[in-house]
Amino acid sequence: MNWARIAALLGKELADLRGRPGLFFPALFTGLIATLMPVFIAVLVPAFTGERLSDSSDFQIATELFQRESWARALDPEAAIQAWLFQQFLVLLVLSPVAASMSIAAHSVIGEKQARTLEPILATPITTFELLVAKILGALVPALALSFACFAVYVGAAALLARAGVAWTLLLPRPLAVLFVMGPMASLTSLTLAVCVSSRVNDTRSAQQLAVLVVLPITGLLVAQMAAGFVVTIPVILLITSVMAAINIGLIRLGVSLFDRETILTRWK
Amino acid sequence: MLQAESLTKTFGPRVAVDRLSFDVHAGEIFALVGPNGAGKTTTLRMLAGLISPSSGAVRFNGQPTAGAESALRSSIGFLTEAPGLWDRLTVRENLRVHARLHGLPRPDRAVDSALDLFGISNRAAEPTAVLSKGLRQRVALARTLLHDPGAVLLDEPTSGLDPESARDVRELVTRLRHERRAVLISTHNLDEVERLADRVAVLNTSLVALDTPQSLRARAFGARLRIRFAGPAMARADILRHMGFADLHVEGNTISLAAAAGTPRTPDVVRRLVESGAEIEAIEPEEPSLEQVYLRLMKGGRP
Repeated sequence: MNWARIAALLGKELADLRGRPGLFFPALFTGLIATLMPVFIAVLVPAFTGERLSDSSDFQIATELFQRESWARALDPEAAIQAWLFQQFLVLLVLSPVAASMSIAAHSVIGEKQARTLEPILATPITTFELLVAKILGALVPALALSFACFAVYVGAAALLARAGVAWTLLLPRPLAVLFVMGPMASLTSLTLAVCVSSRVNDTRSAQQLAVLVVLPITGLLVAQMAAGFVVTIPVILLITSVMAAINIGLIRLGVSLFDRETILTRWK
Repeated sequence: MLQAESLTKTFGPRVAVDRLSFDVHAGEIFALVGPNGAGKTTTLRMLAGLISPSSGAVRFNGQPTAGAESALRSSIGFLTEAPGLWDRLTVRENLRVHARLHGLPRPDRAVDSALDLFGISNRAAEPTAVLSKGLRQRVALARTLLHDPGAVLLDEPTSGLDPESARDVRELVTRLRHERRAVLISTHNLDEVERLADRVAVLNTSLVALDTPQSLRARAFGARLRIRFAGPAMARADILRHMGFADLHVEGNTISLAAAAGTPRTPDVVRRLVESGAEIEAIEPEEPSLEQVYLRLMKGGRP
């Protein structure tokens, strides 16, 4: 593998994205929703209704779960519930880079083919593996940058609007692992799938529709957390990440074997 | 330098290229002509290491390239049918990405040289989307030669260009010959072939003919004479037929005839015609255009 060639194509991908800010709108939208949801539920609704979260039986399970954690015992019950909500919605924040990477990755190979720029790339010594890695990184890097920026806003919103100590709980190892380990790995899985699909189908919509399936397990995780009071612990995060890493390795290998230069060059119009 | 050895390519049941063999030498411009769907682009793609032949082989400098396509692509410059430039990137950025993809040790220097060589330094900072078609083709050619390839494959390099841009491209191609590169050019433009090519291969899935343009003319039409008279030529046609000439075409004051082996020499023809009272204004060897040669070959005329 030649990293210089990967870096060359990655540089091109990033330069090309400068002119397509529209690709980031889905990510910005989901990031905004993920940021506003806990603010709305944990801060604005109680403020406007005059009811405390800790008075509601709906959040009893959250109080109990959260106060099992030694670091959380210093929080009062209202702050504990707010912290729980902010941590739960962090998984939603993970979806924002997935949304961003999806449209970029789905466009990757098909876009080159449609712009008739793929053949000159294939005429260089670049290998299929290097091409796919560059395409995947070209979608991952901006998506993660966006995700981390959203996280900074998220923590800032918690610090400004929630009770004292809530923002601090977002900087503990578990939420950080969700954002910096599980999130990127989920993004990677999503866009590896999108790039693989992008090299097999001949329109971006198909690629995007198929690759969006990866969002489903993460959404399921969010629902499980909210409904069953299920806490994603660090071992669970590491397990999910490991599974995704294994899936990614398999997907890239599959992508290389499925990437058929001949079909792409001769059959796609 | 670059050899096709019995190259065959099939796509399912369809044979795109059938047992095609030729070689392109250093310092030679070799033209590949043929109708749409004749297999020209497929041949170029096989030679460039983009797709694998179903059978047969590509050799570069005598070495088979099967299994070493990546190395082959380092040694060959391939100008694709479409310029294939990234519109949002500047001219310099486009070239720089390709210089780095080719692993050039000093990509910026290579890009600067290419910009100078192709006279596009003053447009280097502009996005390629704003360039004219001719300039885009110029950038694409610069990209093709960035890594100093020994062999250059050009797929329809002047297609869709205005006459001035096409002339510029032809000059650049001629320069490649002087630089001792092997140049293979696929084109529909027979006038271009006439001006540029040292040898021509006529392709229609399989090889129809391969030779220099001059030899192809002779092989397709044989030697011909054109005689222009002061008056109507019809009256002189019978004399020529009696002298053993066949394949006569009379048009106004002119007769065109096949001067095959065994027919009288030109001085004898002139003497006989003058003796018969004909006034000859001119007599010259008739040279059919390459287009006529091509059309005859495509209709199954003698190769």
